[in-house]
Amino acid sequence: MGQASLSGLCLPYCDERIATTVTARQNEFERVAMPHSRSLLRVARRLASDPAAAEDLVQETYFRAWRSFNQFQTGTNIRAWLFRIMFNAFYAHGRQISAAPILVSLDAPGRDTEPQSQSGASLAEIAEISNALEELSSEHRTVLLLAVVEGFTCREMAGILSLPIGTVMSRLSRGRQALRERLAPAAPRVWQARAAAGRAGRET
Amino acid sequence: MNCSDITEIAPLYISAELDSQGAAEFDAHLKSCPACMAELEAQARLDERFREALLTEKVDVSRVNRRIRELIAAESSGPIAAPLLPQPRRWMAASMGIAAAFLLLAAGYLLVPGHVARVYADAGRDHQLEVVEQQPRPWITDPEKIAALAEQQGISGPVPSELASSYHLERAKICRLDGRLFLHLVYSDGAREFSLFLRQRDGQRLTGAIRGFSNGRLLRASSAGSENISSFETSHLTAMVATDQPADAALHFARSASAVLQD
Repeated sequence: MGQASLSGLCLPYCDERIATTVTARQNEFERVAMPHSRSLLRVARRLASDPAAAEDLVQETYFRAWRSFNQFQTGTNIRAWLFRIMFNAFYAHGRQISAAPILVSLDAPGRDTEPQSQSGASLAEIAEISNALEELSSEHRTVLLLAVVEGFTCREMAGILSLPIGTVMSRLSRGRQALRERLAPAAPRVWQARAAAGRAGRET
Repeated sequence: MNCSDITEIAPLYISAELDSQGAAEFDAHLKSCPACMAELEAQARLDERFREALLTEKVDVSRVNRRIRELIAAESSGPIAAPLLPQPRRWMAASMGIAAAFLLLAAGYLLVPGHVARVYADAGRDHQLEVVEQQPRPWITDPEKIAALAEQQGISGPVPSELASSYHLERAKICRLDGRLFLHLVYSDGAREFSLFLRQRDGQRLTGAIRGFSNGRLLRASSAGSENISSFETSHLTAMVATDQPADAALHFARSASAVLQD
């Protein structure tokens, strides 16, 4: 009898506590994780075969992140954590979602769209850069996007991509050189020649 | 450190990952090697061009955010409701099957947060408390008194009255960041504000990832809490911009300040 009474009193209280905990977790997830969806989608669009596949990849990333969010430590680098999840998802699918030409939107920004860059590159410039980027290997494209656009350090990228930091540095240097070849072919490239000489020296 | 070393570790220098000794050796080499300096500048310009083009692109997250929120709400209230899931894709369905294995990997992965230089952390906090939250402080608004305050701090040349086209100098005060006195200038366009911190250059070395090039100076970027910081050095000044606006706005303000602050 006593137990029944206790249960009767406890259950609603426990349910309320659980609901409160879930709501707090959702609020925390919304606060710390959701602001990064734009960054993830920006990169996903360069990885995926079409815009819908890019959105699916981001959605799957957040779904996985939500399910393991209780193990995430507040104050650690959630952006890098989300990107690592996204690249793991991407690699898990055997890169079936290969990159496709990017559609440059000419629409005016809407409520949920990113504000324009303060200086704002011209459409011709965006198209030229996009074309050059598409010509790069996916390895070079990935590290350039993560480092230059998203601002990750080499160490963070090594964690995100599960690669040795030396590999990341090498890909980044070569990616920058490859991009330069396409965007400023006439410019002298001292480091590229030096790197090539170094490689030749090592090969002999 | 020779030219080959420089070539190899340039990515670490650009992303501000070298330790202080390595960065100092890198800087010393750049000063003595015009070819490496020119190469680094070319890379910085290319990075800037690349970043600006991609950040200008519109990225509409309204649909994917709505789908994520629906999915999480459904997950939180019980088993996942099938209708809330997106149209199944082969690769996504397969991935769900291996999610358990993946989660073990993802759960064990936690990155250490990046170190924020103390001076940036202090600048971000000052901007947040004194500008965004508008906690009462003894500000000076008279342009002549602001100029006198700058001169008193050893800041030669006129204090910019306007930056980034539409931002006007509104008020100033002296503040202490990382144990050093800075002139804290606040610029406003009527709706938004940013802070510009100036002091006479001393031995303090600015850190942060290189994010651009302006007026022959490297622009660096960092973040502190919810504030974005962009910094640069003239021949005699250390300058930092702090704003609660996006990182590219901080860079834009710093570029504007660099354009008018002469060596």
